[in-house]
Amino acid sequence: MINHATELKLQAYLDGELPPGEAKAIADLLQSDAGAQGLYHELKAAKSLLAGNELERQLPESREFYWSKIQRQIERVESTQAGGLAEPATPRWWTRFLAPAGVLAALAVIVAVALLSPEDGGTFLSLDDSHEIETPLEETSSFSFRSEAAAMTVVWVDSHRE
Amino acid sequence: MFIASSFLVRSGSADLNLQAQLVWGTNNEKPDDPKLKEVDAIVAEKLRKVFKWRNYFEVKRQNVSVTAGTPKKVKMSDECEIEVQYLGNSSIEVKLYGKGKLAVRKTQKMSPSELLVLAGDDKDDTAWFVVLSQPAK
Repeated sequence: MINHATELKLQAYLDGELPPGEAKAIADLLQSDAGAQGLYHELKAAKSLLAGNELERQLPESREFYWSKIQRQIERVESTQAGGLAEPATPRWWTRFLAPAGVLAALAVIVAVALLSPEDGGTFLSLDDSHEIETPLEETSSFSFRSEAAAMTVVWVDSHRE
Repeated sequence: MFIASSFLVRSGSADLNLQAQLVWGTNNEKPDDPKLKEVDAIVAEKLRKVFKWRNYFEVKRQNVSVTAGTPKKVKMSDECEIEVQYLGNSSIEVKLYGKGKLAVRKTQKMSPSELLVLAGDDKDDTAWFVVLSQPAK
């Protein structure tokens, strides 16, 4: 009868994950212990079944596009839920002091950024001018992703058509 | 599905030569419309790598020269219009208008092998695309 730790080591041995010393010990055990041999062969059979019969799913479009759409859908659902479930929070005593301070700090940042912004009216809030996107229409949303394989940056415009 | 593809060629630091294509893509066979042409193989192959549609047909192509600091509008169809401006330093700004309304604005630094695509789906499981690229010289 082998214990659970040995069972795990047998699995690791099968996967080639044991250091040489422990691998030798498990190999010796397999020579002498019928229970260990039985479990080893079961694990080996299961591994070959999984490796040989794992279903491969082919996406109809690129991986980047596929996951971008899912991410966009999650964000849309989360924003809808957040809008519907949000409850007005009860103001705490310290917010009466922090709120005006926060407004002042925000004004200071806006003034500082405005003073530092280019005179030609260029965008100053863009983190990276190589990847800036804006969707002004309310009934339209967009997301962007890049496919390295196609050397292509895509902006997908969703008009929320049903 | 309409795909508009624009090819950008830098002819100097202050202007761009632009080639714009309006293309329709679908999983169906080519419709019996003499206006539709096959999209060039390189662009079509890149689009196939990313999107699920198999067939891409060019509806319209235009050449436009854009000077830095001076945006130029290109009418792709009755409802679709793009405005492209060269910002310098290999960056461009593209505005996409649908029915006269600004739908999306994108700024992107371009490289010779880079495609910039503005896209969206259309009826009957089709989609339209606006592609900006710098073609091989």
